[in-house]
Amino acid sequence: MRTPTLFVLSLALLTALDLPAQGRRRGRPSRAAPAPTAAPAPKKEEKKEEPKVYTAIVGGDVYLGTGQRLTGATVLIADDKIDKVGHNLELPEGTTIIDAKGKTVSPGFVIVKGAGMGASFSGPFKDTVNPFAADIKQGLAAGITSFLAGSTSSRGRVGGSNAVIKLAYGDVEGMVLVENSVVGISVPIDRSAREKLETSIKAANDYLKAIAAYPAAKAKDPKAKAPKKPSGSDQIINVLQDKARLWISFGGGGFNPFRGMMGGSASTSDLASVREACEVAKLFGKSAVILKPMSAWLIPDEIAATGSSVIISPRTRQAPDPRDPQRSGSNIATAAILAKAGVPVAVTCPDGRFGGGGVGTNGILGQDLNTPNVDVAYAIRGGLSNRKALRTITLDAANIMGVGDRIGSIEAGKDADILILDGDPLHYSSFVITAVVNGKVVYEKGKEALYRHIAPKH
Amino acid sequence: MSMRNTNRLLVLSALVALTCATTTATAQSARPIAFTNARIHTASGKTIENGTLVIKNGKIEAVGKDVVVPAGANVVDATGKTIMPGLVSAWSSAGLRPPTTRSNTPQRGRGGRRFRPSRGGSSGGATSNKAATKVLDGIYTRQPIFGKLLEVGITSLALTPQGGGFPGLGAVLNPAGKTRDDLALNDEAFVQIGMQRNAGAKKLLKDMFAKAKKVVEERENPPAPKKPEKKPEAAKPTGKPAAKPTEKPAAKPKEGKEPPTPKPAPKPAPKGGETKQEPKAAAPAKKAPPKKPKDPNVEIIADLLQGKRRAMVQISSAADLLHWRTAVDDDVKFPRMVVVTRHDSNSGTIDMVADHLKNWDCSVLLPAALSSLPRTQHLTHPAKKLHDAGIEIGFAIGESPPAVRNIFFSLMELVRAGLPADIAIKAVTHVPAKALGIDKRTGTIEVGKDADLLLFSGDPLSPIGKLEQVWLRGSRVESKK
Repeated sequence: MRTPTLFVLSLALLTALDLPAQGRRRGRPSRAAPAPTAAPAPKKEEKKEEPKVYTAIVGGDVYLGTGQRLTGATVLIADDKIDKVGHNLELPEGTTIIDAKGKTVSPGFVIVKGAGMGASFSGPFKDTVNPFAADIKQGLAAGITSFLAGSTSSRGRVGGSNAVIKLAYGDVEGMVLVENSVVGISVPIDRSAREKLETSIKAANDYLKAIAAYPAAKAKDPKAKAPKKPSGSDQIINVLQDKARLWISFGGGGFNPFRGMMGGSASTSDLASVREACEVAKLFGKSAVILKPMSAWLIPDEIAATGSSVIISPRTRQAPDPRDPQRSGSNIATAAILAKAGVPVAVTCPDGRFGGGGVGTNGILGQDLNTPNVDVAYAIRGGLSNRKALRTITLDAANIMGVGDRIGSIEAGKDADILILDGDPLHYSSFVITAVVNGKVVYEKGKEALYRHIAPKH
Repeated sequence: MSMRNTNRLLVLSALVALTCATTTATAQSARPIAFTNARIHTASGKTIENGTLVIKNGKIEAVGKDVVVPAGANVVDATGKTIMPGLVSAWSSAGLRPPTTRSNTPQRGRGGRRFRPSRGGSSGGATSNKAATKVLDGIYTRQPIFGKLLEVGITSLALTPQGGGFPGLGAVLNPAGKTRDDLALNDEAFVQIGMQRNAGAKKLLKDMFAKAKKVVEERENPPAPKKPEKKPEAAKPTGKPAAKPTEKPAAKPKEGKEPPTPKPAPKPAPKGGETKQEPKAAAPAKKAPPKKPKDPNVEIIADLLQGKRRAMVQISSAADLLHWRTAVDDDVKFPRMVVVTRHDSNSGTIDMVADHLKNWDCSVLLPAALSSLPRTQHLTHPAKKLHDAGIEIGFAIGESPPAVRNIFFSLMELVRAGLPADIAIKAVTHVPAKALGIDKRTGTIEVGKDADLLLFSGDPLSPIGKLEQVWLRGSRVESKK
């Protein structure tokens, strides 16, 4: 009796009011609003908060993603955001409880570069995502809740078309967190392209200065002209204004399979290239992200000095250049060495796993055990501490994609992208039992035909 | 692209460089060596935490939690490290081909990727009838491959004859060996049988086992020489007593004692082994011709039926095993390990015939991989199913160093999917050692056994753990690069 009346009441309220303003959601209507279509046209004058939907994950060992862990804590989720984290939280009435006693709770894993899982290859992503892509579930089973899709490099100039995609199964609007939060450039850059780049950066900086000075100038002289934006400088400006992160990748030298064979540089991310990447970061005057610099372990301090972050695939090996074996090639300890020097590190998998071929084509437990924590295990083998290791696929990865304020850790105000696992999030035998994206349960191992029969522990 | 090519080039040049370089074991000292505070996977019983392992004169002298380090021992502090027995590869054709680079490229695809018959698995290749031919005679000695396999952890390995039917006698090799003689620990360790799903192969199996059965009968009940009606057999009595004298004098190698019989096996001279002997198709020895020379191939199978030898029966799928049962009577029993080279879900993964395997009372060597239901991504776990059914499982380790390194990764997957970790460790040590008949000497960490050990920086099943040391019979294996 009571529920229907309540429902009717709330429906009436809803219809009487505007659609709720869902906080900081960028122009995105709330998915939590029930059936507004059935209601008569809402009046626009009044605004009122829609009652929040509360969910609590109770009693688990919570890995915050920042390096800390709370034992037996509760994570309270309000709609699609994390409301509170802590012990003995007071839960609002009607909170849905998810019991996580004896389990671990972790931020959803963030994969710095992925493909498939519902995302298209280039933008606009929000109009092309596939919220029922079969491999979304495989990604979730592997613990992935977000990844960067699309391209992040462009030869000799800044470019790329990408988006941070969330594995919000069955939710078109929830799938795209942000588009083009990353701007890419690839080295080596030849001289003319570099001069052009320098000119563009300078022009963009001049423009930004002029823009900043414009209100004052206009106050003085009402006829003062607004500064004109240099054409084609949008992406550079985004980097300069910290709206997008600059990713510097290697090997944009076009199709040249014979480069190595001809006795040339054995690697496109050899020491000289890594130094060039640092130079490019300095040109922008911004902390950049260097993608898979195989030789980075040789110059951790130089990289740290630029304030840059690094993406590492610890599993990928590269033989040293026979002419200079001491100062080239990959090193399993790269992640540990860089982390020690204070460089934020994100761990990714070898090309052709999440990067190229998409996730889980062989099953999460298939040939390559497509879970990000296996790659992290290689970084740990190289000396990275467990605390930092989890950050490489959560908070630091999110920062590297420019969305560290939204995802990557379990902290109040962040998106509720959370995993419940049956063991240490980094141990190979742990499974994701439940995955929550944007506050909604999108994966339950016990209900997935592909996974429920695998190592059932309950 | 270019990176990959570069890698290949580098690997190539590294190979060339390594051709001369070899692996050596440091001279064994008389001083005992004690590993302390180690996590020890014994592969025989429980895992020992914070244990001590003492080795001396190449043997394991003591192992346990409360073992006292002997005075004067060389102490290796293994805090945080894990020790397990050296890997035993029960299926390998390494060394049967001249060294090439491409042939060791791992094959893609589930199950077949890290474990690949070099040529002609059981379902391909010719059916041959040369059970008495020693595969070791076809080996390319002085290859770097054995040393490299040792460096990545294989301390004992089989040399498996290739092909269907009865391709020959398999050997057990010492990977530190260089010449044929120091490579061979046992040049007739097992009888290889390749089951194929075709008429010719089935007929060969049927005939050979029928003939061998006859020989066994004759051996067990030597026909009285005076019996008149069995005239043609009159010559035979010489056969039976002759069996013992023909026993191979010298070649019975050190490990020959391990076949289950207390008595050494009667050994027919396998001279004619190389010459292919056509099975007597028409009349399976109904009327034995007078003075018929003994067929060494049949004698080998007769030994097998008498339990004096052991066999590796290689099949492709569960379907092949059902075919075997239509070709060979179920009461034909002999010590064997069934080997499947890949999961073939279209013809049945091996776990589908768990009942029959149980009936055979044999262990199974299978790829260290999950399988999937045909045309789906629904994963299945044949190894776990066999284990749950009470069948001993072993894993094929592969015959190239990258494949061997990968084995631990594969084991991780299998353990993640529910196989107990200690069973996974046993499946690459103790179980294959048993199948090769070397389990009295190696395959577990027990007092009195050879000190064939692997030392990892952490859990061997996780990428976190790195193989740091390999010990072969008490000597540290140094890799010369």
